[in-house]
Amino acid sequence: MANEPANHRTIAAEAIKSDVKNGVFLGNPVLDNVVSCVIALGTELWATKRRMKVMEAVMAKHGVTEAMIEQYKPTDKEVAAWEADRDRFIDLTMGPLGNEGFRNVAANFPKRD
Amino acid sequence: MMNRRNFFGASASAGAAAGINSFFNASAEAAEVKAPQGTVAVRGADGRLKRLGTLDLESQQDFTLGFRLMHNKKLRAQSQSAFERLLYTKKVDPATQMTMEEMLALVADEPAIHIASKTWLANQQVTWKTLQDYFHANADLYLSEMDAADKVGPGKLELSPTMDIPAECRHEIHIQPGGYVGDEFAGHIYHYGTNSFYIAVLGHNEQDQIHKGVAARLPIPEDGKVKRILDMGCGVGQYTVALKERFPEAEVWGIDIGGPMVRYAHTRANFLNNGANFAQRLAYDTKFPDGYFDLVTSYIMHHEVPAEGTKKIIDEARRVTRTGGVYYPLDFMSGGTKAVAPAMYNRWWDHRWNNEVWSREYHSIDFSKEIAARGFTMPAKPVAALPGFGARHAIKV
Repeated sequence: MANEPANHRTIAAEAIKSDVKNGVFLGNPVLDNVVSCVIALGTELWATKRRMKVMEAVMAKHGVTEAMIEQYKPTDKEVAAWEADRDRFIDLTMGPLGNEGFRNVAANFPKRD
Repeated sequence: MMNRRNFFGASASAGAAAGINSFFNASAEAAEVKAPQGTVAVRGADGRLKRLGTLDLESQQDFTLGFRLMHNKKLRAQSQSAFERLLYTKKVDPATQMTMEEMLALVADEPAIHIASKTWLANQQVTWKTLQDYFHANADLYLSEMDAADKVGPGKLELSPTMDIPAECRHEIHIQPGGYVGDEFAGHIYHYGTNSFYIAVLGHNEQDQIHKGVAARLPIPEDGKVKRILDMGCGVGQYTVALKERFPEAEVWGIDIGGPMVRYAHTRANFLNNGANFAQRLAYDTKFPDGYFDLVTSYIMHHEVPAEGTKKIIDEARRVTRTGGVYYPLDFMSGGTKAVAPAMYNRWWDHRWNNEVWSREYHSIDFSKEIAARGFTMPAKPVAALPGFGARHAIKV
């Protein structure tokens, strides 16, 4: 996993990885990948919609108008941060398109790597 | 009857879930918790549960919960219909008891059946990935919290970072990245990820309602003496702390092979001002003295253990339980090696693709008979600590 700050006590050991990423359930690995993307996209879309609901509720209580939002110009720092978040979003939602998916769902059962 | 697939998987009916949900909510009271100094609760806490660190993460988990609820109603029904069509087409009596291999030969090339499995797993992957990404992105904060908690109580923590962890314990059960041993935040990830499992199928558990319910119904020795309790395979310690709350004067231990799990369990117990003790130990090598405990129990651990491991654990339970003490390993009904095709299908994909590596072995043995053969008596009317699960109420002879 990701490198952790070195000044902390750590306890993790090596895990035996699941091969679920390579499972082909729908007869075509590309189709499997698309389904994974759809669910991830749904997750991100709902998170966005839910945040909007919170924001609208909070803003309304503090006098922020729709016009103020439309005219807002982000700072360079904000632009950079938002681009980084965009890339994370795309990696989560579109990244599964790149899964190799070479193993038929029923192949070699019950053998695993 | 509640089997493993119905609990962590997607085949439970909404009606059944609603009934059980009501049962648990009737006794679910959220305790007010004052967070000790140094506790990380970035967005505060809802009773016993610290809110997730960001609104987005909370919303992502909210989606995966919603998806599970929809899946239980629609996707699983769609897959079941496809199953029925296939059996009809192939002229197979739906009541035919099949082995896993026989079932698989029948359905292997039917995507209409597999769509429910695929979508459930994809949703599961999103659940884990979003949680794992968050905790690793904020590793310094959460590791600092655990560093501080390691050294304080009220309960004790024993970690064994150099212990040799058997391969059988290192699988990524439920496809949780890193499993129970391989990620510093395995406990955090498991705790928040399983909340949606519970809500979607068994009922709310964010305030440990289900664990508290099991602890409340756990049978005690006939002489009423409960001074020491052992929770084997305690995971994130929800059952352990519930036991400590029921028996506040008792010495309560939770043990688990997953170091990150017991570390999180101890951190959380501190947050709850709960004096349960936690140790990173094997359930078949607990290192406690003979006859030390009045109650030895576990919460859905055995289906994560090889059959031979289960037998060794029962032997160890017998060793550390005092005469007249109660051994109560809560787990799913064990289902044998044959079932009707849809039930066997659920068991198969859960085993193979949800990475329940040892579930086949669990189903292959008669768990209750194994206990009875090892120096325990089984009451004629065992107490059901969790309705629908196996009631294995054993008394040390």
